Amino acid sequence: MNTAGKALLAAGVATAVAVVRRRRRTPQDQSADRWLAVTVYRSPEEVQSSLPDDLARWRDQVELRIQPATGDKGTELRVKPTGEVPAHELRLALRRAKAVLEAGEVVRADTAPTHPGPMGKVLQLVTNRAGGGGRL
Amino acid sequence: MKALCWEGINDVRVQDVPDPQLLNDQDMILKVRLSTVCGSDLHLLTGHIPFMQAGDVIGHEFMGEVVEVGAGVTRHRPGDRVVVCSFIVCGRCWYCRNELYSLCDNTNTNPAITQHLWGADPGGIFGYSHAMGGFRGSHAEYVRVPFADHTAIPIPEAVDDMSALFASDSVPTGWMGADLGGVKQGDVVAVWGCGAVGQMAARAAQLLGAERVLVIDRFDYRLRQAESAFGVETINYAETSVGEALLEATGGRGPDVCIEAVGCEAHSTGPQYVYDQVKSKLKLEMDRPIAVREAIYNCRKGGSVFVLGVFTGLVDKFPLGALMNKGLTVRGAQQHGQRYIPMLLDRIASGELVTSHLATHVMPLSEGARGYELFKKKEDDCVRSVFRL
Repeated sequence: MNTAGKALLAAGVATAVAVVRRRRRTPQDQSADRWLAVTVYRSPEEVQSSLPDDLARWRDQVELRIQPATGDKGTELRVKPTGEVPAHELRLALRRAKAVLEAGEVVRADTAPTHPGPMGKVLQLVTNRAGGGGRL
Repeated sequence: MKALCWEGINDVRVQDVPDPQLLNDQDMILKVRLSTVCGSDLHLLTGHIPFMQAGDVIGHEFMGEVVEVGAGVTRHRPGDRVVVCSFIVCGRCWYCRNELYSLCDNTNTNPAITQHLWGADPGGIFGYSHAMGGFRGSHAEYVRVPFADHTAIPIPEAVDDMSALFASDSVPTGWMGADLGGVKQGDVVAVWGCGAVGQMAARAAQLLGAERVLVIDRFDYRLRQAESAFGVETINYAETSVGEALLEATGGRGPDVCIEAVGCEAHSTGPQYVYDQVKSKLKLEMDRPIAVREAIYNCRKGGSVFVLGVFTGLVDKFPLGALMNKGLTVRGAQQHGQRYIPMLLDRIASGELVTSHLATHVMPLSEGARGYELFKKKEDDCVRSVFRL
């Protein structure tokens, strides 16, 4: 296997391990009290008055907090699930809300290559979930 | 349309791919006129950056003509001639508003990958892997430009296509190294790497007031080109001890500012290079930071080191002791192009910044594979292959 293949395989294994570990956790382990947050470079009033649909649709299932960020960095937009809302969906919603509030729209990825190859297909599995993964 | 695609390790081919479409209101479609290879593309070719799919269109340094704009584009219209920054930026997040454009919060469509790797995600780049957004690259007849009002910059009439091309990436990257490296009047500046970015960093240092600028490389033809174009001093590290030459040039102090324009696959001579090669082959080290180590070691006490070369992960034998005990400032960044490009185009128009000599090999896109081969192997005195579409 070439260098790229090994690295991609390692990345895939790491992602799979992370997913399995996440699934094995009990709800108590998942730090249910933990807030997921993004900072939006808009005033709290603007964020409050025009909360994008991506986030607004979860309104009944999350606790939402909007507060000024330190150092004139905008507004901290925080959510904490009160019901069964996957963290993946909330991260995605927060990122999309931030993009809409700041840039007016969520940039779309270009169409995928027509023949990604075996390693490319593995990578697609990773990127298909990348919008709602990561560190928030 | 025709496009140059990554098909596997060291395998790029011209393929037929679907024409790009407007996917967002703030998109535009550009007919590419010129697109150039970049040293950082070689990390994709070699598989050093493993987030590619067969069929991905590569290329991120380009200019062309606007052919279609989305409803949300206000600054460009069909027929405009523009240079496009390699980084896609929204222009309105905190990072963009603070001119840290390559850190844009809203343009990487796959943020999780780099958030896990680096702790946070930088902005998206054209043709530079799915870790950086998975956007199609510019070695193609047409390319979609997201957030076009902020990502693309109009070219003044006085600037020809070839000169403008390098304002997409090489020139602003080099300028940023000198600017954020803190070059001041009277400084001595050393630049590791004499490719397009290194040469532009050297010229920027001169224009920002450096009294002496020394460029370091192992290819005489590149050193001769920089000497001829800008009158800089040169050091061929294959023939001369860099440390001794820099001490001699600076009265024993070391350079005030050291700019690294080499990146993660650096070459060297001697046991250090063998050591890094072995470590990287055994996967015990991701990047070879040879030029960074040398820059930190040779920088004067209290000086500044700027890392312009692309790095991907972890390095070994990082000289933290030298950094700390010499009181150095070390900084790095991907290019904050939009901060500099309009000013740089004006400097190109005025003649004080020359760029077109970098295009040593101009060819049609159909010869794209040959262009990369020449560039990668440094054959025929190649500094940059440029594809004309």
